[in-house]
Parts: sequence; structure tokens; C-alpha cells
Amino acid sequence: MEPHEFKLTEEGIKAVLPPLEAEIMEEMWKLRVATAGQLYEILKERHPDIRRSTVSILMNRLCDRGLLKRSVETGRGGMRYVYSVTTTREEFEEKVVKSILDALMSNFREATYAYLSKMKK
Amino acid sequence: MLYLVMLLQLMLPVVALGEFGAKLIAVSALLLLPLYLWAYTSEPNGRYHALQREQIPWLYDGIAEMAERAGIKMPRVYLLEDYIPNAYSFKNTLVFSLGLFEVLGEEEILAVAAHEIGHIKNGDTKLFPIIAYSRYTMALLTVMVVVTSKNAWISFGSLMLYAFYELSRAEYLKEREFKADHTALGLLHIPLSLKYALEELKYYEDLRASVKTSALPSIEPSIDRRQGSPLIETHPSYDERILRIMIEVGHIAPYNKLQ
Repeated sequence: MEPHEFKLTEEGIKAVLPPLEAEIMEEMWKLRVATAGQLYEILKERHPDIRRSTVSILMNRLCDRGLLKRSVETGRGGMRYVYSVTTTREEFEEKVVKSILDALMSNFREATYAYLSKMKK
Repeated sequence: MLYLVMLLQLMLPVVALGEFGAKLIAVSALLLLPLYLWAYTSEPNGRYHALQREQIPWLYDGIAEMAERAGIKMPRVYLLEDYIPNAYSFKNTLVFSLGLFEVLGEEEILAVAAHEIGHIKNGDTKLFPIIAYSRYTMALLTVMVVVTSKNAWISFGSLMLYAFYELSRAEYLKEREFKADHTALGLLHIPLSLKYALEELKYYEDLRASVKTSALPSIEPSIDRRQGSPLIETHPSYDERILRIMIEVGHIAPYNKLQ
């Protein structure tokens, strides 16, 4: 996933993802593989009003963004979708930094160079 | 009403075009018969997986119990690999998408199953393919009558009849949905679970639509369900169905009692 928007007022990955999607990703990086039901139970503790539909839609949206992967698992409880992360948190952050710096370099080359060299000192 | 309009629509070519009109009807029926037979005999494959009892016993047993109460044979049950919540029935078969299990609880899924069993019990799974294919016959006959008839009034009448047929068909299909809900309420241990299921599915569709429209063009997810709404709705809205369910289970007085 290439970030297309950076919110200066938000912290962490919420700067590049909507808040609930960012929370889901934070949990998914811890779990690596989970069902929408498991994520729902986790998020429900912090957001008592959250609904299963919201979690399912957002997890599938994260699949569309390429951050999660959906596959069918047949287990004791029958068939179900399981979601897994496609990238580590570090790889994702690296991609975000690269995209932002690339954008700055192509739009404000001199100022970016100047600022980066000032930072080095 | 639908059957009357269909009968008139079938009579019009004969009245207007005589023997040629009768031949047109015969040819249309012959063309569509293989389609109907194909639809009625084809079996699910690919992303469909037959459900075994040991996989999801509560679902299998719940369906078996409701089928017995409805007086139908135990339907075949398939799970469909699709993340969008959906359920439907054909012949004596029920299909549930895997997405349904992500958004609904057990009682709500059983309520959806009860609605589909309602369709089977009410004969809709046999009727719906006939109605679907007779629609093509009606359209074909209308075009044929308009093209071949030299009488402007007959052409106009045929077009009007077709428009009326479409409206009657939509109304008829909506009534069958309500009837399936009515049947489901009689099969369920917790009738209100159908209302909760519909509320959750409505919430899902509304939220998904808002997520899609509010997304930036560059990060638009490739959600793959058709978004356009048909010119004439053949399904009642969730709100209409929920209202009827609440009236039936006695939570709200029917409109005429409020007057």
C-alpha cells in the first residue's frame, strides 16, 4: 500500500490510515493472523458500540489496500475467513517515509535537501 | 394480477397477429425452455462447498429442525466463498456466504436460514426461475408485436401491457419476500432475530456504501458488488421488512389500528 494522504495532526500510522483501520492494523501486527470475530472481540473492549459489520468491512478494506490478506480456513468451527498481515510494521513505516520523502523531493527538492542537511548537523 | 397481465400479454400477439402471433409465442417458449432447464438442473461448484453437519452442527441442526417444522425435506446447504454477507436459495438448496458469518450471530444466521426455508416452502424456488425467464418472453413478444403490427394502437397497447407487467412482477416478488418473512417468523424460536439480522445487514450495506463514497479516489477499494439500483425494485427495503416483522410479532400496532 502506498500512502496517498498524510495527516500532520495525527500520531503514528493514524497519519496515513483512518483511525479504526489503524487500530486494526496495530492489533493485526501483534496477532499476525486472526478472524474478523477475534478482532471484533478485541476492539469491543475499547469501543463498546462497535459492530461486527464495521470490523468486517474495514478488514476487507485493508485487504483492498494490500495490508491484509484474506484466505479460507477449514477448521473445527467450519469454514471461515482468516486475515493475515502482508507486511511487517517496520516495512510499512519504511514505505510511508519513502513515499513522503519522494513526494517532498519531487515538489520541494531544495528546501528538503536544506532541511535534511540541517537536521544531520 | 401478475398472472392476468401475463395472460393478456400472451393473448395480445394472437389477437393482433393471428397465427403468426401464436407461432411467435411458441418460438419464444422453445428458446427459453432450455435456459429454464439449465437453471433448474445446474449444480453449484467452484466457490461453493457442501456443508457437513460436523463442520457447523448448530447451523445444520437448526436448519434440519426448521425444515421439519416447515414440512420440507432437509435442504442441501452450501457455503459460498464470498466476503460480502449474502444468502439465497434455489431448488431445495440454501447458500450462505462466508461473509454472513462475520457479521451475524448464530440466532441471526438461523433467522436468515428461516427466511430462505420460507422461500422453499412457499414454492418460490420453483416459481422464481419461471418468472425470471417469462420476463424475457414478455419482452421478446412486446418487441415482436411492436415491430410486426401495423396498428399503432396494438403496438401502444403491447408496450403499456409490458410496463404494467414489470410493475406487477416487482410487486409480486416483493410480496413473496414478505411471505417468506412471515413463514420464517413461524419457524423461529426467537422471531425477533430476523429483525436483528435485517438491521445488521442494513447497517452493513449503508456503512459499506458510505465507506465507498467517502474514500479518496486514489485509495478506492475494489469492492466488487454492483452498486447501481434497478429502475424497478423487486425487493422490499430492509425498513419495510423490519416494520412488517415488528407488526407481526406484535411490537407495534398495525397502521390501521393506530387510526
